[in-house]
Amino acid sequence: MNEADLQADATDRMLLERMAAGDRTALGVMYRGYHGRLCRFLSRLTRRQDVIEEVINDCFWIAWQKAGTFHGDSRVSTWIMGIAYRCGLKALRQHGDEPVDEDTVPQERLPSHDPGDDRELRDWLGKGLEKLSVDQRVVIELVYGVGHSLDDVAVIMQCPVGTVKARLFHARVKLRNVLPSLAGEPARLKEGAP
Amino acid sequence: MTFTMDTNRDCARAWEAMPSVLQESASSEQNAWLMDHLAHCQSCSEDYAQQERLRLALSLPADIPVDPAVGLKRLLARLDAPVPKPVVQRVRNGWLTRALAAAVLLQAIAIGALGARYWSESNSPAYRTLSQASAPVPAGALHVVPDASMTLADWDALLHSLNLQVVGGPNDVGAYTVVPSGTPASSAAPTLQKLRATRGIRLAEPVASVP
Repeated sequence: MNEADLQADATDRMLLERMAAGDRTALGVMYRGYHGRLCRFLSRLTRRQDVIEEVINDCFWIAWQKAGTFHGDSRVSTWIMGIAYRCGLKALRQHGDEPVDEDTVPQERLPSHDPGDDRELRDWLGKGLEKLSVDQRVVIELVYGVGHSLDDVAVIMQCPVGTVKARLFHARVKLRNVLPSLAGEPARLKEGAP
Repeated sequence: MTFTMDTNRDCARAWEAMPSVLQESASSEQNAWLMDHLAHCQSCSEDYAQQERLRLALSLPADIPVDPAVGLKRLLARLDAPVPKPVVQRVRNGWLTRALAAAVLLQAIAIGALGARYWSESNSPAYRTLSQASAPVPAGALHVVPDASMTLADWDALLHSLNLQVVGGPNDVGAYTVVPSGTPASSAAPTLQKLRATRGIRLAEPVASVP
């Protein structure tokens, strides 16, 4: 954990203490601070905007209720991502993980700025992630996207570190074999790789 | 990863090191070692370039627009709203308690009714034990055993002449229980003598009140 992470966690703990005391301003600061990463994290589980918003609110409703029980066994961000992960899985069971038809999304709600390079990169990533299981997508997002350590991911997903390593390994191998062909390059399949 | 014999051990090490180097959480030595390996290994260099692109793609903001202001407003409204579940639970508990109380009351009534019926039946059992007193016998009752040769007409005439009527029998030994009809109990003795004197009557005895 670097200095920036330590500083961010100290701020989060202070906000959590204030939330435990009923400070809604602290809740608002925490909500806005985590909204972007939670949105991106949950978009790996579902493409439904309404479900993502519901899960984020479920997550912070629980964080608000349980703020006083946080004992600091992990970073606050790890704690919150764990709550979001469990809420996300619950939402998947309730709503399914079928993506929403893009045509049904109002145009004014689509990002106004999406340069061509980003769109190409998103398409490339999206096609690769389609080949992964939900757990593999979650691990890839948490490690590469959010930057959590494998130990943190194990806490978030409530599983052994070895399981996280295995999921990351299989996800990387699958992406390595799939992504070049999607980009028009020949796949570089190494013999013996899964 | 299961590398074949022709891939060297350094490539496996490089594969393991890539995530932490990309996260910038690797030590400077590990970082320097990987960079040195990539400079000499085309395959791992391509893998690393792909992993870098993957990380870049994953770091892009979400492409699904969710307005944080709207979400926060809904969350705050939710915090102010009464929690529905405990209310439902209380209602369920209330109904459950009432239903259980009604069931217990019905059971109590049923048990009471059955007990009352049992108690009333037990006051007049269909049997009598040897320790119990004999069934009450009317005052002046007599046991009379007519002879087998006595005709029914003679028996009827005798009872009619003595103002007697049969209230029981014949029992196992052929005895009838007779009582005076409309005659006071004090006149039982002459009736008894007349019976004994009558031809065809083998036995005539007053019924003792206590055996």
